[in-house]
Amino acid sequence: MSSTDTASTAGTASSASTPSTGPASTAGTPSPRSTSVISADHLSKWYGQVIGLNDVSVNVPAGVTGLLGPNGAGKSTFMKLITGQLKPSKGVVKVLGEPIWGNPGLYFRIGFCPEQDAFYERMTGLEWVRALVRLNGLGDKEADAAATRALTAVDLMEAANKKIGAYSKGMRQRVKMAQALVHDPQLLILDEPLSGMDPIGRRKTIRLIREWGRSGKSIVVSSHILHEIESMTSNILLINNGRILAEGDVHQIRELIDEHPHTIYVRAEDPRRLAREFLGGVDDVRSMKFEPNAVVVETGKPDAFYARLTEMAASGEFGAIDEVTSPDDNLQAVFQYLVK
Amino acid sequence: MTQRSPGYLSSALRVFDLSVSEMLWSRRTIFMALVVGAPVAISVLLRLLDALGAPVFKVNGGMMAGPAIFGLMIWVFYLRFTIPVLGVFYGTSLIADEVEDKTITYLFTRPVRRGAVLVGKFFAYMACTVFVVLPSVVVVYLAIVPMRGSLGASFIDLLKDLILLAIGLAAYGAVFAFIGARFKRPLLVGLIFIFGWEQVALAFPGYLKKFTVAYYLQALVPHAMPSDNVISLIQGIFRENPSLPEALIWLFVISGLFLWLAAVSVERKEYVLEQ
Amino acid sequence: MPIHDQSYRHYGGGRGVPGRSWAVIAWAGIRSFMRKRAFMGLMLFALSPFVVRAVQFWIASQYPQASVLAPGPETFRQFLEQQDFFVFVITIWIGSGLIANDRRANALQIYLSKPLMRTEYIAGKLAILFVFLSLVTLAPALLLLLLKIAFDGNFAFLKNNLFLIPAIVVGSLLQVMLASFTMLALSSLSKSARFVGIMYVGITFFTTAMFGALYAITGTSRVSWISVGANITQVVDVVFRLKPRYATPWQVSLLVIIALIVVSISILERRVRGVEVVT
Repeated sequence: MSSTDTASTAGTASSASTPSTGPASTAGTPSPRSTSVISADHLSKWYGQVIGLNDVSVNVPAGVTGLLGPNGAGKSTFMKLITGQLKPSKGVVKVLGEPIWGNPGLYFRIGFCPEQDAFYERMTGLEWVRALVRLNGLGDKEADAAATRALTAVDLMEAANKKIGAYSKGMRQRVKMAQALVHDPQLLILDEPLSGMDPIGRRKTIRLIREWGRSGKSIVVSSHILHEIESMTSNILLINNGRILAEGDVHQIRELIDEHPHTIYVRAEDPRRLAREFLGGVDDVRSMKFEPNAVVVETGKPDAFYARLTEMAASGEFGAIDEVTSPDDNLQAVFQYLVK
Repeated sequence: MTQRSPGYLSSALRVFDLSVSEMLWSRRTIFMALVVGAPVAISVLLRLLDALGAPVFKVNGGMMAGPAIFGLMIWVFYLRFTIPVLGVFYGTSLIADEVEDKTITYLFTRPVRRGAVLVGKFFAYMACTVFVVLPSVVVVYLAIVPMRGSLGASFIDLLKDLILLAIGLAAYGAVFAFIGARFKRPLLVGLIFIFGWEQVALAFPGYLKKFTVAYYLQALVPHAMPSDNVISLIQGIFRENPSLPEALIWLFVISGLFLWLAAVSVERKEYVLEQ
Repeated sequence: MPIHDQSYRHYGGGRGVPGRSWAVIAWAGIRSFMRKRAFMGLMLFALSPFVVRAVQFWIASQYPQASVLAPGPETFRQFLEQQDFFVFVITIWIGSGLIANDRRANALQIYLSKPLMRTEYIAGKLAILFVFLSLVTLAPALLLLLLKIAFDGNFAFLKNNLFLIPAIVVGSLLQVMLASFTMLALSSLSKSARFVGIMYVGITFFTTAMFGALYAITGTSRVSWISVGANITQVVDVVFRLKPRYATPWQVSLLVIIALIVVSISILERRVRGVEVVT
């Protein structure tokens, strides 16, 4: 898919059914909220002659949103802009309704977990989180209590009095998250929070993120690992080459990409007989291929295809149909289509 | 959860709390300890040699007294080298160290002004340097002055030296904090300022010397300026001292002004971390 | 129409002789610095004393009334001394990050996992410093000598001062080698180029300050061996057949220089490794 096609498709995707608002409420996220937590209007950022972000206009809704893109796509630049570390070269970015650059008061309501693995290694986890939350104006006792709560939330209390330099990778990621949520922010921005974690750590963190989302926090999570984002949320923001490719519910985005046929995998007793029927009776079968005991069909009219398949299965004339799946109704396929 | 941002000074003090132990135990401070340890070692060695009767202090046939040697060390070691160099080493790195270590993100995504972060780190620098340099001066004083001198008689001079060194650390630190915040290669700029601009400006007659920190700082020194090299000799010829109140006022103005400029620079600058 | 093979193909061309990898590292480093405009500006500025001297030589050769400007052997010594400042700045600019940046990026493991000896790696890095430092010391000094001969139109000056060629070479090389080895050794000690620069500056000025203090206290320059800069000055003065300016025997100064280089080499040998040995 060319970049102009991508842009027009993305434009169609975002305007046709406003997936940025509707699907957020139906995709397993908490109570319907239509206000944007982050809004970018013609946002661009360049470093010398390198464009990091190119004319991005997007509204990130409340709830859990996944920011997805390959390395070098502009995710980190976008993250830095929405956390006020960088100033836009052009355009406007607002977080929780206010411009973020030069607005330190906004950080009461924002918690940021950066990507880099950098700490004051000589401090213990508790000391470090406490010292950082004191910058929010908390007194010593309040800071201590808040730090303890945060470390408990990320399951790090046992190692709270160990120096960060002695922490494992997973513990380091968790203490980073602890400092992000210690002041109970309204919006959490997590830059590659699962990076370097082992599988158990990942599962725990994903569960935590989903819990925080359910508890009413808005969370923006960035990653280049598709299935991780999928396991956290279905509300995504796809970015590539400094541009937003698509935003909204991953399923709706998929449906809106009409140019690309849907792939349907049918495992059956007699796949060739099914294939003959598909060719004869079903509109718009674009291609078929055979796999052991299965036929894989590409169609531009998935609804019609499913309806016909259901009839065929119910009639029993074509043998048993054991499995029907759509391998490309997921983020990986959506992304691959959009970036081609 | 408290939603009121701590005031500027309060924020700076909280950053100071966070930074002081990191700064104190950094490799930079170990280097500083070696630098200020050298005059201590030399003074102890000289005291030993003097006790053994070695004619180390015979200059032009006359024996140098302890207070004169102490004054010389204040000039040559502390005033001309240690104070400006520590100012460069620490001052230019206040924010740069955090950027290099990538920990600056944590400080800049808290509800404190960026300028307060810089001021807090400046306070930490002052604490680290004052509590290492000043004791070293006291030890040198205790080792050197009793040689043909009196601790009591020179005590006021010691106090003056301690105060002027602390003021010097503040003034140079503020200037180099600004240079560190503003310039891309602050170390080189700082060194050119100390060993280039200040040396030249002090050697010329006229008002150029007023654009140095050394001009005001040297006015506070209670000891005679040594002429240990050609440049010192020339500087001595064209030396004019401002009055004590004038020197103090200007040093405080320099410290305050450059610290403010550094804070403003940090507030406006974008810090792009190395990927 | 035959379909061409698009798959991976093994390299079938010629290969360089083993032991030449240092040149690859050196050339890559040199090119990366030459791309920086600020650095090239500094290099050009570093050659301004050469331009001034060249003009001086020309005036002295063309105008008999300007014979006071006529150069002698000490003029070349003074030129090298003037270049000390630029040697210092360029050493910090180039040298601080040479190994420190590689350590920071964990690139040492990558370098040393190639068919590359540690000595080649160090030689390559040294060569970068050597080239740029020689461009502001050895090259312009020799060029000044050539210009003197060219402006005079005869070899009389050279015949009368034949020692100048080895003196310029030895004097420059001493300056360059000491700066290069010490800076490279310091660079191998840290992952922060900035800190390396600070250490280098600290050592240089600290030793000078120590010497200054002791000289002022004791009234004798016998302690000049403490100062790195004074040692170089002492030995190069002798190389140019000038009266040494300090009371320290020049052999002691030379020994200190050699000791510094040896210590630097031993530091490099210990620090430049693909793995860190943890006992």
